Formats: sequence, C-alpha cells, structure tokens
Amino acid sequence: MADPARSDVAPSKIEICGVSKRYATDDPDTPLVLDNINLAIGDNEFVTLVGRSGCGKTTLLNIIGGLVESTHGDVKVNGRTVSGPGQGKGMVFQQHALFPWLTALQNVGFGCRNKGVHKAERDQIAHQLIELVGLHGFEDKYPAELSGGMQQRVAIARALATDPEILLMDEPFGALDELTRLEMQDELLRVWSAHKKTVVFVTHSISEALVLSDRVILLAARPGRIRREFPIPFPRPRKRTDPQMIALYDDIWKSLA
Amino acid sequence: MVTSRIISGLCLIILLLLWQFAVMSGFLKPFQFPPPSRIGEAIVELAVSGFPNGERIWTHVGITLWRIIQGYVLAIGLAVPIGLLIGTIAVLDKLTLPIITFLRSVATLSLLPLVIIWFGTGELTKVLLIAYGCFWAMLSNVIAGVKYVDPVMIRAARTLDTRPLAMFVRVVIPAALPRMFAGARMALGVGFMVIVGAEMIGTIQGLGALIMEARTFYRSDITIVGMLFIGLLGFTITSGLSWLETILLPWSKGLSEVRR
Ligand SMILES: Nc1ncnc2c1ncn2[C@@H]1O[C@H](COP(=O)(O)OP(=O)(O)OP(=O)(O)O)[C@@H](O)[C@H]1O
Ligand SMILES: [Mg+2]
Repeated sequence: MADPARSDVAPSKIEICGVSKRYATDDPDTPLVLDNINLAIGDNEFVTLVGRSGCGKTTLLNIIGGLVESTHGDVKVNGRTVSGPGQGKGMVFQQHALFPWLTALQNVGFGCRNKGVHKAERDQIAHQLIELVGLHGFEDKYPAELSGGMQQRVAIARALATDPEILLMDEPFGALDELTRLEMQDELLRVWSAHKKTVVFVTHSISEALVLSDRVILLAARPGRIRREFPIPFPRPRKRTDPQMIALYDDIWKSLA
Repeated sequence: MVTSRIISGLCLIILLLLWQFAVMSGFLKPFQFPPPSRIGEAIVELAVSGFPNGERIWTHVGITLWRIIQGYVLAIGLAVPIGLLIGTIAVLDKLTLPIITFLRSVATLSLLPLVIIWFGTGELTKVLLIAYGCFWAMLSNVIAGVKYVDPVMIRAARTLDTRPLAMFVRVVIPAALPRMFAGARMALGVGFMVIVGAEMIGTIQGLGALIMEARTFYRSDITIVGMLFIGLLGFTITSGLSWLETILLPWSKGLSEVRR
C-alpha cells in the first residue's frame, strides 16, 4: 500500500477504480451506463460532476454511496472498499426522498435517532439545522405541506444531521429559486469549510459548479466516462463576474457541447 | 358547504314527497313500494312493540353490530400480523399468492352450507363468515402495503444507517399504513355484505334476520327499515374509521388533496 514516492501526497478520501456499470447484468447487449471511471477525491475536497442529462451522474453518485453495485471496479473510502450505504456517507437525492409520515423536525432527526442520540439533543441538532436551511417555523410541518424547494432543504438538513465526513449531493438546489439557491450555496460552503467534509456534488449549472468546487469533472454520455477535469484554483468567496471565471465557464461550456 | 347541504336536504324531501304522492294516487302499489308514511309507522312499530316476536329495533341493531365487531376484529387481528409476515418475506409471498388469490375469490356466502355443517347454525357460524370475508380483503392490502413501499424511502433510510428492525418499525410499517387503512375500510364493506346473508339462517335477531322475517310476512315496509338501519350502521362505522385515520395519519391528509 505505502508508496514511498508519493508519501508527500495526501491519501485520497474516495478512490474510484475502474468503475463500470451496466444495469441489466444478465444481458451483455444492454449499453454501459458508466465505462471505466477512475477518479481520486482528496480529503476535504469539493468535487462537482457535470454532464448532460442521462450521462450517469446519479448512477456514479449512487455507486460511491454504496446504494448501487458497480458491474466492474470498486470504490474505496479511507482505503476500504465501500460495501453499503451510510457509515459516514450522507446523501441528498435528486428527489427529496423525505419520509412523508414524519415532520420536518423528525425527518432531520431520523439519522441521529438511529445512532441512539437522546431526544433532547436530537431535537436541538435538528432545530439548528432547520434554522440553517432557513425553515424556522416549519419544524412541525409534514413534507406534503412544504413546497418543493423547502422539501429539498429539509433533505439537506437531514443529510447534515449526523455530521457525515462525506456528502453526496444529487442536484440538491435544482428545485430552488435563484436567490435561495445562492443563499444555500453560501451556507453549504460555510458548513463545508467549518466541518471539514468531502463533497461530491452533481449539478446542471456550470456557474454553480464554478462557485462551489475545487474541481469540476465533466462526464460524457453513452457510455458515461470522464471527458475532462477542470481544477478551479481561485480562492473563495468567488465572483461570477471575475474574468478568469468567465473564461473557465466558456471553456467548460465548449467541452460540454 | 351550508347551501349545498340545504340543497341536498331539499332534494331528499322532494323525492320522498313525490314517492308519497305516487303511491297515494295509485301510480305505485303500496305493497311493492311502501310510502314514506308507512315506513315511518314501521319504524315506530319496531321501536315500540318490535318485530318479529317483540324483538325491538335496538336489539336487531345491537346484535348485528356485535356480530360484525367480533368477526371484523378477529379478521383484522389475524390479517395484520400474517400480512406483515408474508409481505416482508418474499419467498412466503410467492408461495402463498395462489392460495390467497383463490380463497379470496370464493364468495363468502357460498361457504354457508359448508360452514353450517362444520359449526352449526349458531353465533359462531355468523361470526366466522364475517371474519372470512373481512380477512382476505384486509390480508391482501396489508401484504401489498408492505411489499410496495417506495424504494426511495428504503434507500434514504439506508443512507441514514437504519438497522433492519428500525427499518421495519419506522419505515416499512408507517409507509404501509395508508394502504392498511384502505384495506380496513374495504374489509368493513365486505363485512356488511356478508352479515345480511349470514343472519338469514338460524336466528330471528339481527337486521338480516329482520329483513328475512319481513319477507315471510310480506312486510316490505319493514324490509326497507332493515335496509335503512344497515346503511346507517355502515355509514357510522365507516365515518368512525375515517375519523380514526385522520387522527392516526395526520400526514396523509395532504396526499389525498387531489381534485380532478
Ligand atoms: N435503475 C435503472 N435501471 C436501468 N437503467 C437505468 C436505471 N437508472 C438509470 N438508468 C439509465 O442509466 C443512464 C444514466 O442514468 P442517471 O440517472 O445516472 O443519469 P443522470 O446523469 O443522473 O441524469 P440526470 O441529469 O437527468 O439526472 C440513463 O440512460 C438511464 O436510462
Ligand atoms: Mg440524475
């Protein structure tokens, strides 16, 4: 394992080694959804996956999260092969996936309850997170009583509640208006830098990827593979109007088309 | 809300008046279509002197209600745990599916002769017939409720480190509850269908027996009163069940708010 030549490089938090995916495994004629994906994500790194609809972003995120099995290759977290979901990997789904029978507060506290955190402490954590996502006053509402954007924010709070070291987020701000989206981006960056998390973030918005991440991974479709990587070396907070950012935006845009 | 109630009340009164006049003018035969006034008299008769053999309406209602409750509770009490088990264990579901589909398709009252041979014509037979009908309606809904939990819910729970027991108690069961309540309502409907037939043998008490006895005495007015009370009883219990559902499942209110 120990490679003396690379001892100066921090070990990767997440290692994706030769991952391929075909959904109907018994039928070799079905096309590959992912083809030989190799990617190393460092500790505390913020990586964004972009690519056209259907190129396999959700599939890749689910494989990292341990919810979907890869056909070939595997994913390692902290050097250990991922065998299932949970265990420090928080997820926010493309569809909010809240439990309709629980209130916003109970949804956020669900993971803590599984960990045996007492009710008083659990509620305190949940209250803080609901405040963080700007839903103060909606604690006792059921998901069906919340708007799509509010539901998505509860789902983010739920994923944050157990303070996972890895956050896998599938278009978490897709249902938000522009202003709330910008606020949530700031909050996410604050949580990320304050709590030291490794984030894999899926988005359709290139400018969102540019504002948030250390690295943008561009996926090509049919089969999904990594087309290009764009490191974003600029310090945060970033301005969308920065000429360097605009140049990078154009660059990614050209590669996408 | 209020005006629509007044309108539907008015409609009912007009209908009853038309009926009354149709009989009084000789257009309908009172023997086939006893007029509302005659039905009112029959209700008074049932409340004061009783029919047949002085059995008053309260006795009939009470006995029918008690039989339904016994059969219904027995059926639900068995169907819920068995359904949870079958719905959870895929192999069990595969094995039992043909049997369940077959047995639930058997019209309950067609079992009547057989059940009489096994258990006689007493109370047990009536309660068991009701239980049989209710059981299959409830069972298939409990199984479906558990089996078709939205996989997205399961996934979300798994990412939150939910262990198997918690998954069952705190995800699968709550997710299945709306379907289970739907099953409970269907089962009640079946119970009311079965009760009238089940009470037609070996008893003069109960609303089904009342209707049967009324037939032998050519008292169509009393038949209608029996129907009326069965309907009222069913309506009351179903409303109670819906009320219970809004209390126990406050979260599913928003889900049903769909207008077309
Ligand atoms: N459960 C599944 N069974 C079979 N095929 C699937 C399944 N899930 C996804 N696919 C296929 O895999 C491909 C990639 O899907 P995926 O959901 O990963 O795309 P995506 O990049 O997340 O798209 P979007 O941006 O629209 O969310 C699609 O062609 C889709 O049809
Ligand atoms: Mg997707």
